[in-house]
Amino acid sequence: MVVVGVTQIKEMYSNMVTARHYEERLREEYLEGNQPSFDISAGPIPGELHLAAGHEASGAGICQHLDNDDTVTAPHRPHHIAIAKDIDLKRMTAEIFGRKTGLSKGKGGHMHLYDPEVGFACSGIIAEGCPPAVGAGLAAKKRGSDNVAVAFIGEGAINQGAFLESLNFASVQNLPVVFVIEDNDWAISMPKGRVTDVSDGSERANGFDLPGYRVDKDDAIEIYQAASDAIGRARDRSGPSLLEVQVHRRMGHFMGDAEGYRPDDDIEQANARDSITRIENDLESQGVASDDIEQIRSKAQNRVEEAIEWAKSQPKPDPEEAYTDMFSNPEEGVTGGKNTDNVVRGDD
Amino acid sequence: MSQQKAAERQLTMSRAMVSAIAHEMREDEEVFYMGEDVADYGGIFDSTDGLLDEFGRDRIMDIPISETAYVGAAVGAAMEGMRPIAELMFVDFFGVGMDQIYNFMAKNTYMSGGNVSVPMVLTAGVGGTYNDAAQHSQTLYATFSHLPGMKVVVPSTAYDAKGLMHNAIRDDDPVVYLFHKRLMGIGWLPAPEGPKTPVPKEDYALPFGEADIKRNGEDVTIVTLGLHVHHALEAASQLSDDGTEAEVVDLRTLVPLDEETVISSVKKTGNLLVVDEDYQSYGVTSEVISRVVEHDSDIVNNVDRLAIPDVPIPFARSMENEVLPDVDDIVASVRGMNL
Amino acid sequence: MSNQETVISSESLWPEDAAEDEAVITNWFVSEGSAVDRGTTLGEMQVEKVSVDIVANTQGEVDEIMIDEGGELSRGDPLARLMIE
Repeated sequence: MVVVGVTQIKEMYSNMVTARHYEERLREEYLEGNQPSFDISAGPIPGELHLAAGHEASGAGICQHLDNDDTVTAPHRPHHIAIAKDIDLKRMTAEIFGRKTGLSKGKGGHMHLYDPEVGFACSGIIAEGCPPAVGAGLAAKKRGSDNVAVAFIGEGAINQGAFLESLNFASVQNLPVVFVIEDNDWAISMPKGRVTDVSDGSERANGFDLPGYRVDKDDAIEIYQAASDAIGRARDRSGPSLLEVQVHRRMGHFMGDAEGYRPDDDIEQANARDSITRIENDLESQGVASDDIEQIRSKAQNRVEEAIEWAKSQPKPDPEEAYTDMFSNPEEGVTGGKNTDNVVRGDD
Repeated sequence: MSQQKAAERQLTMSRAMVSAIAHEMREDEEVFYMGEDVADYGGIFDSTDGLLDEFGRDRIMDIPISETAYVGAAVGAAMEGMRPIAELMFVDFFGVGMDQIYNFMAKNTYMSGGNVSVPMVLTAGVGGTYNDAAQHSQTLYATFSHLPGMKVVVPSTAYDAKGLMHNAIRDDDPVVYLFHKRLMGIGWLPAPEGPKTPVPKEDYALPFGEADIKRNGEDVTIVTLGLHVHHALEAASQLSDDGTEAEVVDLRTLVPLDEETVISSVKKTGNLLVVDEDYQSYGVTSEVISRVVEHDSDIVNNVDRLAIPDVPIPFARSMENEVLPDVDDIVASVRGMNL
Repeated sequence: MSNQETVISSESLWPEDAAEDEAVITNWFVSEGSAVDRGTTLGEMQVEKVSVDIVANTQGEVDEIMIDEGGELSRGDPLARLMIE
């Protein structure tokens, strides 16, 4: 097992508290004015929001091994991964708020964040981030680089064809890909045992001739260590791996989810095993002073506040912008249905 | 007097749909429902709300996120004579199970020379207006209507939803039943005025291939479906203030398509506007206009169409509002006809 | 025969574990004058993110809808008055 240095732990901690504070603040922003009657189409943040509070150790522990040339695909619960992958936080936040200067100019939103500078993309169809990650691995292999690709999915996704096909394809092609299952026990309202017959998703690797490993504890350092092996294998061109990590879901499936289907003690247990408390203990046991820890935390919080403030100050897109960027060449516009004699919409 | 008042009870579209499913499940133990989060959650869009309590997990089945497997399983069970209902949580997820839908569910009857049938229903949540972006806001009406072998049903009201669901389950052929999320009457996605209607307690089946004239008018025919029936009615009320009376034709089913009702309306008014919440090119608006013109191009003076342009649906409100046809767009189009 | 009445109170319907004391009427399915049976769903209200059915506790007729659709209410507010048959 690789020994984890204090610098690494501090960086992971910083990413984790950034992510936690980010999700807490987004929840506040999202629900602003949206009580007591919750209306998904009102409120300052448009659309659905799937917050990753409780998943922080996974993003931090794995992305700590990655740099900007490595590719990550993430699902609909992506913020902790994006943050650990060093995404442009201000522009990500602007995108979530649907602003013109967001990463996708307001066209994608929180489920469709793309930051090619750091090799990050997320999407909203379960397991479909796997084939593109395989493709990034294929490109790395063809070019002879030591870049790796990591596909993050949830435990519900291991039953989707795209995942299984990707395992086989990556294996038979010997690609530098790591598949990471973030197991938070719930696929919206469906508990894992109701829809999957194995309790350890990493066992899916057995049928595909690649190694599988499960980290049972929601612990950043253990995840870091397991990822070190998997990503190391990929980098030295020994092929793909499957990693499952236990995390927990602290804020429901999406904003608006009352979680009535989830037993109270399940929620309590999940909330009790906070990976952020664990890593703080790890820092202390490494001799880091609590002042220093507090400093990392407040710096992270300030960064989040700045990003949100910046995002909210950004202009909203003009309606006409809906018609651009379908194709790469700006000369090639919308090919049908642009009814220019229609009423042009105003703002929200 | 009491009976009349009982009939006045209204329901949301979701409750009406659920009441039809419940009735059919009581009548026939071979009817069952498969989908993601349909058990305890009652369907993300309330499509199975309350059914788990009455029918249990064997018949209201939470299934893995495996559209190919469970939609295909529905096909197989249907071929054995059962009457499964399989749900795509969002129609946008059809991609991960489409082969079983269009190559098997839709074609088995034909490819077998009529020797087998597939008496299943494929339900799916459709539609935008709440900023769920490109992968969660589509209707895809044209996609399912274009490929042969499946009936396609799009209710716009609670009354229609129940009658069409009874018919869908009883139909011996595959029926794609597309329910608009905005019409269901979900607390966190409020419906406009219109979809909540009186619904009879007893069962009744609305035949497919019968459009419904939701509003009579002499001056212009507005043909539409789903959410846009209600937009068209709102627009018609505004146009009426100006003295233009619009006739609103709710298609209700895309396959089979009731061209007769559309054509006879256009014969009366001479002017046609088709409004669709799907991408424009190669879609519903093209088809309806073509059928009218094919029949007799002389009956129509003004023709226009409104649909989503051929772009993925953008996330930010200002842009989504721009690409979705709206009440103002409908009014502007009719006014532009200078009737 | 007396004109006995009963009031449906939001208190009796409030979810046990709800932290909020406010709700919104999202739908009425009946109107003043509608005949109802015991158990008929009269409407629904939203408490936090949970939809709660407003159910008739008696056979009778709806005498008064006390909070309009879309209206906000506090825990304990009366929702509707029924005339018992």
